[in-house]
Amino acid sequence: MKRKLLGVIDATTYHDDLEDLLTHRSLAALPFAGRYRIIDFVLSNMVNSGIRSVAIFPKMMYRSLMDHLGSGKNWDLNRKRDGLFFFPTPAVDSDSNKIGSFENFAANLDFFYRSSQEYSIITNCYTILNMDFKPLLDWHIHSGCDITEIHHENGTPMEMYLVKTSLLIKLIETRNETGYTCMKDVVLDPDHQHSICRYEYSGYAVMIDSIQKYYSTSLNLLNSDVWNQLFIKEQPILTKVKDEPPTRYLKGSTVQNAMIANGCLINGTVENSIISRGVKIGKGAVIKNCIIMQKCVIEDNCYLDSVILDKDVKVEEGTILTGTSRDPFVVRKGTKQGALMNT
Amino acid sequence: MGKKKCVAMLLAGGKGSRLNSLTKDLAKPAVPFGGKYRIIDFPLSNCANSGIDTVGVLTQYQPLLLNSYIGIGSAWDLDRKDGGVTVLPPYAETSEVKWYTGTASAIYQNLNYLKQYQPEYVLILSGDHIYKMNYESMLEYHIEKRADVTISLIEVPWAEASRFGIMNTNEDLRITEFEEKPAEPKNNLASMGIYIFSWSVLKEYLEMDARNSKSSHDFGKDIIPTLLDENKKLYAYPFKGYWKDVGTVKSLWEANMDLLNDECDLDLFDHDWRIYSVNPNQPPQYISPEAIIKESLINEGCTIEGEIDNSVLFQGVSVGKGSIIKESVIMPDAVIGENVKIEKAIVPSDVIIPDGTVIRSFDDEIILVTEEMLSGLHPAL
Repeated sequence: MKRKLLGVIDATTYHDDLEDLLTHRSLAALPFAGRYRIIDFVLSNMVNSGIRSVAIFPKMMYRSLMDHLGSGKNWDLNRKRDGLFFFPTPAVDSDSNKIGSFENFAANLDFFYRSSQEYSIITNCYTILNMDFKPLLDWHIHSGCDITEIHHENGTPMEMYLVKTSLLIKLIETRNETGYTCMKDVVLDPDHQHSICRYEYSGYAVMIDSIQKYYSTSLNLLNSDVWNQLFIKEQPILTKVKDEPPTRYLKGSTVQNAMIANGCLINGTVENSIISRGVKIGKGAVIKNCIIMQKCVIEDNCYLDSVILDKDVKVEEGTILTGTSRDPFVVRKGTKQGALMNT
Repeated sequence: MGKKKCVAMLLAGGKGSRLNSLTKDLAKPAVPFGGKYRIIDFPLSNCANSGIDTVGVLTQYQPLLLNSYIGIGSAWDLDRKDGGVTVLPPYAETSEVKWYTGTASAIYQNLNYLKQYQPEYVLILSGDHIYKMNYESMLEYHIEKRADVTISLIEVPWAEASRFGIMNTNEDLRITEFEEKPAEPKNNLASMGIYIFSWSVLKEYLEMDARNSKSSHDFGKDIIPTLLDENKKLYAYPFKGYWKDVGTVKSLWEANMDLLNDECDLDLFDHDWRIYSVNPNQPPQYISPEAIIKESLINEGCTIEGEIDNSVLFQGVSVGKGSIIKESVIMPDAVIGENVKIEKAIVPSDVIIPDGTVIRSFDDEIILVTEEMLSGLHPAL
């Protein structure tokens, strides 16, 4: 496996429905599960599958993504040879919003020429899963297929493809003649010249493409079946470490059915919620069915039900914020919510 | 090697025998503390936060875990091209293997390490204490006083003063007398085992001490008294704040419980003086619908289905349904079964507590859970 498989993560995707959470960041850098960013899942899957060279293709607003990934050290990808590569898409106004856009790859063809890995796996950046790609590679090699597309067992294509690196290079080089703009085009073309196979994945996998999906998938983490499929000791999801102290539960706090990251100070009540790193929850505050992102401050006696607070939101004393399970109330990054504001 | 103004030497070879089975396989500085740290994180983080980027760590007793924990020092931002952290174990010379026989001999045998940085000052630290301290301020004080040696002192309760090395000073805080564990202390200022030496003085006196066959090669017992006898300028640097020697099971337990007390001066949440440690990178803690958490400190990777009351839980601990953990410290990856009751105890790393176990002391002693105890031989069960 060591030098056999190249990882390619397409991080150019943007979903309009997630706009409120994507004003400052790319989808790949969307916080998830209290301490992760969405991209941590596929990236960790790759590393845990023995992939030692990963190329990430982001587009626009990649500051938070770059800050998160750094040198790749937390994924053990700060290597002398191979490691983590970051290829921001040069044509900013290119409208190719498709997974595995050949236009984006073409701008960095040299990277593919230089890579020694015989096979490449191309994935999207926004699927929550913990998958071992080793059996997939074995399956692909044995099947003799040119292109393997991963499908979820419920039939949905997962926008993940395995090909020989040489074929990928050929597809990129001939994109103008063939008219193929991305991997999906190849797979969907009824007249394609390649043998295409489907690999069925039966584990937990959710693609985050809307606020509703983000919200329900987050709260589903509280279900131990889901939890156990995503957080596996031998296949850890790796992320940027933050040196936060353990979370402190103070007098008067009540916490039930919750996932809580480090560095929090909890004085109030938390039920059925996901609390990220470094969140402060004041006395008498009640947090129900919420996703609270990093470093939010919720002052005393607030009441929040079905709310998503983006990073660094301050909710002032006595504020009431409510959404519904179908339509959670979303508060944008770095804003302030006061008791007298019109919500 | 570049010249360094100040190099730190961290004595981390201590056995900590009063911590009993906790230090059977690891040196005292590697003992877990505070839900995610090891004791040595405190002096190393203090160095990093004080701008000291060159630290020699002297190891001797059970160094395996300590060595791998320190690694190249990246957790404390001490992986540097020039300087950084260097682990310094005892070594063999042509004639013999020289173990570190005392704190002074440990530094003496590494004078070559220090020489390569041509330091002006050497900061000597111990890896046994929990505290946050700005060594840079202490160095400024040392320079201002034109001292040969500056010793950091902390006020201890008068009743306990006879357990410590006590310093008597004049009004200018110049040390006039040092008494190791005096029966009738004249002062309650105790040495914290933190020294700043001007390099030339350190070198001269260590070399002199090494030639003295009657010396026990200890800073407190030999070097400091000799310096005082020879009228060198030794100054006291009074430290205010939290400082605790976690040398016994009871004091280790107390120091952990201190973290649950609002009055405690040791603030782990201060972003301006972070305590760094090797992060285990585990998922957030999961608190089940049945769980009850009261005034506790809980780290990532824990799964809690029982009741946690005034306790400190390290990473990766799981607590089963119906279990009650009260005033206890549960170290990394311990597995607590269902309907277990634990009160006033320390449960070491990786220990598995079977369903229905009750661990409670009948006097006020703190119980250190051991494998032998769990095989049913101990009266506490």
